[in-house]
Amino acid sequence: MSVQMTTVFCTMSRFAASALFAFAALTAHAQQQAAQPEAAPAPPPSWAQGRPPELAGSKLAPNPPGLTAKPASEIHLDKIKLPPGFQISLWAEGMPNARSLAIGKKGTVFVGTRLVGNVYAVVDRNGKREVKTILKGLHRPNGIVFKNGALYVAELSRILRYDNIEDNLDNPPQPVVVFDALPKDEPHGWKYMTLGPDGWLYFNIGAPCNICVPPYTHAQIARVNPDSGVIETVVRGVRNSVGMAFHPTTKQLWFTNHGRDWAGDDLPNDTLHRVSKKGMNFGYPFCHQGDFLDPELGKGRTCKEFDQPALKLGPHVAPLGMRFYTGKMFPAEYKNRIILANHGSWNRTKKTGYNLMQVTLDASGKVKKYEVFAEGWLQGEEYWGRPVDVQVMPDGAMLVSDDVTGALYRITYKR
Amino acid sequence: MPALLLPLLAGAADIEAGRRKAEVCVACHGPAGNATLPGVPSLAAQPAMYVFFQLIQFREKRRNDAQMSPFAANLNDRDMQDIAAYFSAQQPTAPPFVADPAKAAAGKIVLDAHHCGSCHLPGLTGQNHIPRLAGQHYDYLLKQLLGFKNGSRPDIDGTMSMAAQPLTEQDIEHLAHYIAGLK
Repeated sequence: MSVQMTTVFCTMSRFAASALFAFAALTAHAQQQAAQPEAAPAPPPSWAQGRPPELAGSKLAPNPPGLTAKPASEIHLDKIKLPPGFQISLWAEGMPNARSLAIGKKGTVFVGTRLVGNVYAVVDRNGKREVKTILKGLHRPNGIVFKNGALYVAELSRILRYDNIEDNLDNPPQPVVVFDALPKDEPHGWKYMTLGPDGWLYFNIGAPCNICVPPYTHAQIARVNPDSGVIETVVRGVRNSVGMAFHPTTKQLWFTNHGRDWAGDDLPNDTLHRVSKKGMNFGYPFCHQGDFLDPELGKGRTCKEFDQPALKLGPHVAPLGMRFYTGKMFPAEYKNRIILANHGSWNRTKKTGYNLMQVTLDASGKVKKYEVFAEGWLQGEEYWGRPVDVQVMPDGAMLVSDDVTGALYRITYKR
Repeated sequence: MPALLLPLLAGAADIEAGRRKAEVCVACHGPAGNATLPGVPSLAAQPAMYVFFQLIQFREKRRNDAQMSPFAANLNDRDMQDIAAYFSAQQPTAPPFVADPAKAAAGKIVLDAHHCGSCHLPGLTGQNHIPRLAGQHYDYLLKQLLGFKNGSRPDIDGTMSMAAQPLTEQDIEHLAHYIAGLK
C-alpha cells in the first residue's frame, strides 16, 4: 500500500498504523478506502525516496548489512586509535549482527540484533566469555532493557518481557507481551529502547521514509508504562533515534538522531538532543539540525517553530548508541561525559563517522566539547567494522558492539 | 583502493576451493551455475555477497527450502564465501527462456514504475547482497515474487516484502517475462 502525503510519497506497510492511536488508525483506514492501490505509482525503496532527479544516477546506496560473525583475524583492533592510556581488546565474538547492549544485575551482557532475529547473552566465567544465543526468530529485536530481573525486548511492533532471565539463560521462559500495537512499517521501524528513571520504557518510532510528512504515530520518541501498558508521546519531530540514555544527575533524556539523506554531502547534520520537557518538537520533516529548512517540505515554515538540538554531530555520521560515562576506571574528567557510536555514512561521496565520539557537558548541561574518542574502523574509504552501541561495565570499562564483525570490544584505562 | 588495505576486507575467498566445494551445487544449479532445471535459480555472475548471505539465511533457517536447506546446514562461513566467490566469477549463458513480447513490454513498465533498478541496478545485475535478476529463471522469479507478496519468502530487511505488496499477480507475471528474457 502506498499513501500519498502532501508532496512526497511515504512508504508504509499494509499493516501500517495498526493501532497506536485510534485517531491515526482511522485516518489510515480512510486513506486505504480512498486510494486505488493499482492506480497509485509505487514508492521507491525508502532509502532512494527523496533523491532529487539530478542525483538519479548516483552510485550511493546503503552499506550492506552485517550478517556474519567475522573471525578474530578480520577484526583489526590494532587499527583503533584511542586517547593516551586507553586500550581496546576483543571481549566476545561470534554474534552476527550484534547491536544494542544491556547489562543484567548479575553481570550478564545482553546483545540485541536488527536483522537476524537473535538476542545473545554473554557470561564471563573466570575471565572467559561464553556466548549464548538465548532468543531466536524474533522480528527485529533491536531494543533491549534489563529491569527487575527481566529482559524487555522491543521488536518491530511489540515489546516482550522475559522474567528472571539471568537464571534461565539456557531455557528462557515464554515471554509476556507488554505492548503489541506499534506500527509495522519496516523503514526505521526497529527500536532502540532504554529504561527511564520513572520505570517507563522509552523508544523511537521512526519516520517510515527518508523524507515525508509522517503519520501522527511516527517520527517520535514514545514511552510505555510496562505495568499498565499505557503509551505516551514524549517528543516529536524526530526522524529516527537509535540511541538514547538518561543523564545520571539531571535525569533528562538525551538521544541521537539521524538526519535526512539526499540533501547533500554536508547537510543536514545528524544531531544530539536533550529533552528538557515533554512535548518538544525537533522539527522533522520541516526543519533539520535546528536551522536547515527542508528544501521541499520546509517551504513556508521556519526553524523558529521548533526546539533546537543540543549538538550537530556531523553530516551522515549515523549516530547510534550513547551512554553517559558513570564508571570509576576512566580519568575523572570523563565523569558524565557522553560516549556515542557513529555507525558511519553511506549517503556521502567521502565516508565519515565509523568512530566513537565524546561529548563534554558543563554543569548546566550545555555542550562544551565534541571530540573523537576512538577511530580506525574506517581505513581510507573501506571499513572493516561499524560500532553500534556502548555500555559502561560494572568495573568502569566500556563495551562497544559492532554489527559488521559480530563482536564486542572492551575499552579500558590504565595510567 | 590502496593495496595496503586489501587484507582488511572480508577474508580473501578462494575461487578454486569454491569450485571444488560447489561440485555438489552444480548438480541442480547447472554447470558453472547456469541452471536448467525448472524452478532452480541460476547462480552464475551473482554478486558473491548475495550468494553468501542467502546460504547463511538457509543455514540459520531464516529461509527454508526442502532441497536447499539440508545442503546449507553443513557449510561453514568459509565454505560459503568460497562457493559464492566461485559462482560470482562465472559467465552467465544466454537464458533459454522465450518471453512473450507483449508481456515483457508490460513487465518493463512495471519494472520502471516500481523502481526495481534502484537496488538491483538499471541492468538488473545486482550489487552486494542484492541479487542479479537479469536472465533468471521464469518459474523461480514467479515463485519468489509471489512469496514476497504473500509473506512466505522472508527477506533480510523487509525491503522486498514491502516492494512486492502493490504488485498484482499480473504485474508479477509480466515482470517475470521481462526479467527472464534479459541477456
